[in-house]
Amino acid sequence: MAPATVAQAIDRVLTAYAGLAELGEEIEDEWSYVNDLATAWRERLETVADGDPDRILGDDVDAAIDRAIDEIGRITDPHRAIDWLSTFPQVTLVALGEAP
Amino acid sequence: MRFQDAARDGRAIVYAGIQADPLVRRVATQLADASASQCVMARAVMNGETTDPAAWRATFPTLFGSSVAAGPERARSEDLLAASLAVADRGEQVRSQFRGAIVEEATAILLARRAGDAAIRRERRILFDGVRAEIHPYDVTVEREGGAEAYDCKWGARGINDDVLHQLDDARSHAADEDERLHVALVVFDAQRSCDVRLDRLNAPRAGTTIIPLESLDRLAEGAP
Repeated sequence: MAPATVAQAIDRVLTAYAGLAELGEEIEDEWSYVNDLATAWRERLETVADGDPDRILGDDVDAAIDRAIDEIGRITDPHRAIDWLSTFPQVTLVALGEAP
Repeated sequence: MRFQDAARDGRAIVYAGIQADPLVRRVATQLADASASQCVMARAVMNGETTDPAAWRATFPTLFGSSVAAGPERARSEDLLAASLAVADRGEQVRSQFRGAIVEEATAILLARRAGDAAIRRERRILFDGVRAEIHPYDVTVEREGGAEAYDCKWGARGINDDVLHQLDDARSHAADEDERLHVALVVFDAQRSCDVRLDRLNAPRAGTTIIPLESLDRLAEGAP
């Protein structure tokens, strides 16, 4: 399999992130906050993807992205999902060598 | 303006037990010297589902990858991972209590580097002449002549709300009414970006309140907010 690029990795991240936001939306009082938060971080991740989309990731970084996606896939509590709506993008950005 | 210990009610007694747990001090001491990436790792681990250290090392190749040489930074990452996992292992209810206490303790440690241990107090109320006292104490205060400081601490941006912003701003303005200087700040163990999103939704005055996010914790040791 061809090594992943930054754009491909962030595409995977954003797909997983959408699922996390959907879980967080279950807290009705925080619905708009969840969406504002997700939008803010989505924009940051898209900026990184647009900056150097074809950069090839090392295997360890690619695996780290998969691991982070696996981690949020385990979350079932919507309150924890809201916390991870902030944490997950930071984790992926650190893996990519980017500042949050 | 004067400071006073908070009432020792049941909640305070239980929380004092959490604050005194050696694990709180252990994690906070490590966070006080951690990089922003290490803080993100600790945040993830302490609120994660996985408690397998190998899985977390794989999640953070910039901290634990094969290209990271053995040395103090790598050792710091390993120590912080182990301590964060010890918090995660305590279970959901306990870990949520620990996390708040850890942010407070890290704040106190960093402030003490600038202001000295003797000036740092915990769980203090601030009283002003003719003003009804707030019920909730401030998490950490710096009490010294010529420039007192009051801090509230939050694990995440979601914890920021109008009440806490009002309380901090009220204290600052009441101090000014008495010709006293009181710096007020909110320490949030979360990214600036997330704090900004939360703050945009709130109406309480905050122009006089410094927000210190996860990326900037070291500012606490460097200068008044």
